[in-house]
Amino acid sequence: MKILAKYEFDELVNKWIAEDPREVVGATHDGTKFVFDDIDDAEELRLDYDLTMLSPKKYFFPQRERLVQYDTNENDYAMVQDWSEESRIIVGIHPYDLVAIEQLDDIFIDAQGDEPYRRKRENSVLIGVTMQSVSEHSFAASMGTARTETGYDLLVTELEDTYAIEIGSEKGSGLLEEAPTKEASLEEVEAVEEQKAAVESKFEKGIEFSPKQLPSLLKEGYDAVEVWDEYADGCLSCGTCNVVCPTCYCFNVDVVDYMTDEVGETRRRWDGCLLEEFAAVAGGENFREERVARHRHRLMRKGNYLYERFGDIACVGCGRCTKQCVADVADPSEIYNELWRSVNA
Amino acid sequence: MSQTKMKPRVAFFDFTGCEGDQLQIINLEEKLLKLVEIVDIVSFREATSAHSDDYQIAFVEGSISRDHDAERLEEIRSNADTLVALGSCATIGGINAVRNSQDFDTVQKRAYGDDADRIDSWEDAKPAAEVVEVEYEIPGCPIDKDEFLRVVTDLVQGREPSLPKYPVCLECKLNENTCAFLREDICLGPVTRGGCDAVCVSEGTRCWGCRGLIDNPNENAAFDVLEEHGLSVEEVTEFYNMYFGWQQTAEVEQ
Repeated sequence: MKILAKYEFDELVNKWIAEDPREVVGATHDGTKFVFDDIDDAEELRLDYDLTMLSPKKYFFPQRERLVQYDTNENDYAMVQDWSEESRIIVGIHPYDLVAIEQLDDIFIDAQGDEPYRRKRENSVLIGVTMQSVSEHSFAASMGTARTETGYDLLVTELEDTYAIEIGSEKGSGLLEEAPTKEASLEEVEAVEEQKAAVESKFEKGIEFSPKQLPSLLKEGYDAVEVWDEYADGCLSCGTCNVVCPTCYCFNVDVVDYMTDEVGETRRRWDGCLLEEFAAVAGGENFREERVARHRHRLMRKGNYLYERFGDIACVGCGRCTKQCVADVADPSEIYNELWRSVNA
Repeated sequence: MSQTKMKPRVAFFDFTGCEGDQLQIINLEEKLLKLVEIVDIVSFREATSAHSDDYQIAFVEGSISRDHDAERLEEIRSNADTLVALGSCATIGGINAVRNSQDFDTVQKRAYGDDADRIDSWEDAKPAAEVVEVEYEIPGCPIDKDEFLRVVTDLVQGREPSLPKYPVCLECKLNENTCAFLREDICLGPVTRGGCDAVCVSEGTRCWGCRGLIDNPNENAAFDVLEEHGLSVEEVTEFYNMYFGWQQTAEVEQ
């Protein structure tokens, strides 16, 4: 573990901004909310944020992305891969978002071999931060994601006038090479541990059982119609809970021509299983036509389906869906707890 | 190759409305040049004095609100192979339909004062599809230029044009907008058809619903949300009526 004075850390970030070929982005405030965005100066960082609007997954899997451009005017029918390969230094990622990115890496890189994702992800650097503030909507501690020992290249913890920096990879240590770091003292290492433990007691919300029980709970509770109906009745089916989720990875691909059938492109954009059209297929069939089926599907997927397939509990407890749901029917901790009580009744 | 294809002949017509949708087409600027490469515009009062009744695709803007409108629209319908309604007024009644829920004499007097008697308007302003068969609709107040081009291109290429089925909320989140409700405002984004790139909320205001209701809105839930944000039942109804009035009346009649 390394120690840098706060002003030295700022100088280091500014040096990356000035000299590193990668774009430096970080947790910042846009005037109304916290977001991950470009920063021109380390002063713009807000490492004390509670929750950002979207997770940093947008840097590897952008909301909208052009994949291929085609031109059939050329004799060789040119098809050009056209996604951005831009990599970034991302400063200030909370542990639950680091966990979410690890899950997305498994899916996009290992399982799907998704090149647009891999190219952007591979050379990017993830600089995590130990949470200082906790959103009232978050229940990450109960999901075991309020802290993590993996998934970061560097992990920064605020001490009094210094930052303690844990090294997670060679990519991370490389960024510290020219910084005037000191080795952390035994007391400082202990102070970091205390910080991480203290954060976990700040959460107001939590699931009332172990996340390990979630896949089984959902299997048993699949037919607990009264619970699912209660929430689906108020659901607007707007897809917000999907697109603000740090682990949702579904997308829709459109072919868009440039007003001629000869030249055009394919684009993908984030999709969501709450949207009515999501499970509609050619021929007019829709596998989840009812709102309640879509609402349940999201919660099944987060807690059971993705576990069955990849071994991951895909809800990291960040609370974004809860915060952004205007109908207040998205909170996974509330729904899972109610299901728990219903199944145990 | 496109040069050898027959360019469809296209005409634009306006009824009760502000002609703001046709203005959007003029505003296509350099894309307008691209547009005339794939279609022949044979009638477009805002852009040319030329006129012909020989066309395959007719775009009609504005709501239908008197006998003379209906007669003209029927004639356009009989000339065209494909009729496309353009903008909120032609697709969902638009702002004109706000009067449908009000006392008609008062409405007429308010608009025309002493000349009210000389106006032969219907009590209800109607979307084009209430009067004739309409193949496709491009909603919006005004229309989205890119969506218009997409529909035209689809028609020229022989594809079935389609509208997004998702609500405005989705585009707001993709744009990382601060939710209007989270800044203590109100919004119809959760039940309004997307496709506008959430332009109003992106600019810091709210969604008024100009693209009409999505196909299967959860209206009870939307009402609850608005009431929880401080609106009375009357205020919710008024907010809804600005653009959704016709669709809601049509729903009740079904």
